[in-house]
Amino acid sequence: MSVESWILLASFAASAAAAAYYCLKVIFSPRTGDPAESRGDIARAVAYSFTGAMSPLKKESARRHVPTYALGLLLHGGVFLAAAWVLVFFFGIRVPLAIATLSVPVLAVTSLSGMILLLKRITRRKLRYFSTPDDYFSNILVVGFQALALATLINVELIPALMIYASALLLYIPLGKLRHAIYFPLARVYLGLFFGKRGVWGSRKSEKWEVQDR
Amino acid sequence: MGSSRPLTDEQKKALAVLAERMDGKLRTHLNACVRCGLCDESCHYYLRYRDARYIPTNKVEQIARVYRRHYTVLGRLIPKWVGARDLDQETIDEMIDVVFGGCTMCGRCAIHCSVGVDIPFLVATARSMLAELGLVPKGLQSTVDAAIRTGNNMAIPREELVDTLQWLDEDLKMETSDETASIPLDAVGKRVLYTLNPREPKFFPLSISAMAKIYHAAGESWTLSTHCYDVTNYAYFSGDRRAAAELTERLCNEVKKLGAKTLVLAECGHGSRAIRWEGPGWIEKAYPFEVLTVIELVAGYIRDGRIALDPTKNTKRITLHDPCNLARGGGVIEEQRYVLKKTCVDFVEMTPNRADNFCCGGGGGQLSMGEYRDRRVEAGEIKAEQIRKTGAKIVATPCHNCIDQLMELNLVYNLGVEVKTVCEIVAEALVPR
Repeated sequence: MSVESWILLASFAASAAAAAYYCLKVIFSPRTGDPAESRGDIARAVAYSFTGAMSPLKKESARRHVPTYALGLLLHGGVFLAAAWVLVFFFGIRVPLAIATLSVPVLAVTSLSGMILLLKRITRRKLRYFSTPDDYFSNILVVGFQALALATLINVELIPALMIYASALLLYIPLGKLRHAIYFPLARVYLGLFFGKRGVWGSRKSEKWEVQDR
Repeated sequence: MGSSRPLTDEQKKALAVLAERMDGKLRTHLNACVRCGLCDESCHYYLRYRDARYIPTNKVEQIARVYRRHYTVLGRLIPKWVGARDLDQETIDEMIDVVFGGCTMCGRCAIHCSVGVDIPFLVATARSMLAELGLVPKGLQSTVDAAIRTGNNMAIPREELVDTLQWLDEDLKMETSDETASIPLDAVGKRVLYTLNPREPKFFPLSISAMAKIYHAAGESWTLSTHCYDVTNYAYFSGDRRAAAELTERLCNEVKKLGAKTLVLAECGHGSRAIRWEGPGWIEKAYPFEVLTVIELVAGYIRDGRIALDPTKNTKRITLHDPCNLARGGGVIEEQRYVLKKTCVDFVEMTPNRADNFCCGGGGGQLSMGEYRDRRVEAGEIKAEQIRKTGAKIVATPCHNCIDQLMELNLVYNLGVEVKTVCEIVAEALVPR
């Protein structure tokens, strides 16, 4: 295995250990009891939290900011695509040329999406108000990752550089705002638990209280 | 780089609150925000002022940046890089202004957050830190103090309450032409113990009459306590968990003392949420009795045929304001619609409604914080416009806090509506069997 592969492996191990640590801290934190009697279907609400509640039809923030929402989805999709290519290169998996060829314009679009979001954060005063250097850096880091993956698909000699870059990204994830990747699913679970227990999400009560139009 | 001034004892106390509350949920929500700002227009304060201070992201930041300073590696080493802040005077002053003066904890932002951060939960925790520092705005603190000291947040003497209720009892007998109709006080062994918002005996006794008529029509076995009856719990808004637990425990003990089977929560959004959903957590045990909001109870009466209604008695167009803590924070959403559709001929929804509804602006303890009165009324413009667009003549809402705010909005924005509780409208539609 090459040096950069070892570095990537070590970085992955460190990042995964940090993610596991964060998750365990959440799971095994002293629990604040919630003995209130439930009036809803909690499992249904948690499922809804990850599905329907995320849809622009239900989420006003997505509906009112469709371009930004779409750019965000593309940016995140690009991260997963670039990560998939890192795995391909790491394991030396043979992938049909068509997929590689198709990935190039896709990564170009996702990188551009990330750049537009960065530009938005730089130019909009309301976003600058609470943005931190970490916000700009994290954005640049993931856009750079996708751009480098794209370049690597064009020129495979960049594979070592991509491995090193991916290592740096992995090491940074637990440190800055990118750790939302770890906390995002947990937040959705907690939100589902909250609204589910109270019967706000996942409830079938509307049928029970239906009134026929006069 | 990461050095900071030594913490004062007071600051240590506030940080101890954060440490004490650091469960999995708090840790998750403190780390999940990506500061995308897409939540901006979910907040009625931001919609009104277009000021970045009121973007819910910034409300998260009030506590998250302090968390990062003390709980994260980069926050300790290079705080400016991650926007971490010490709990210094500047941070505290901004925190007070944003979490007390710029948020009603209505929770609309949590529903619409890209990630799913429970923003009002973080605001509540920030308020608890400030409460530990003795920095709760005076009006809100005195409301909590009055409840702890006198048993009700308006410090109504028991004699005054009893006088009012006895007068209402006589009135009820006359109105129903039934000598058996009554408002039973401190009766032991009844099925229902009904609570009151102290605003009712003080300013809106007719809402007690309305509910007494409904109980009478339904043939309910019920009572009121003259010792412990306050449905509100402003300590939920001030962040004082000890006081919140104390008020909950008192009510719990009163139900047990009177041997009631069901505690029925009067029309009060935050009180319903505080008692039903937060209370068991504060006192760390489940209630040994059933807890229902009065809206659920009345909806049940109608569905089960225990009361008869004539909707043609309410011909004016009625719209509904969903109290945030009852609907979004308590799941009572369809019941009040069911009740209103059965009691009037022209019901119209506001847009948006249900769990998406905008706060009236009076929640979060705002009505008791005179410091932010102008901001509260101005931010209420969003609600006022919602009401105006419905063309309704009556705004119904099952919350006395919301009633106060809506009445003020009615005057300030010249809406020309009447503002009523849901049960008042039900009482008007009652028909004798």
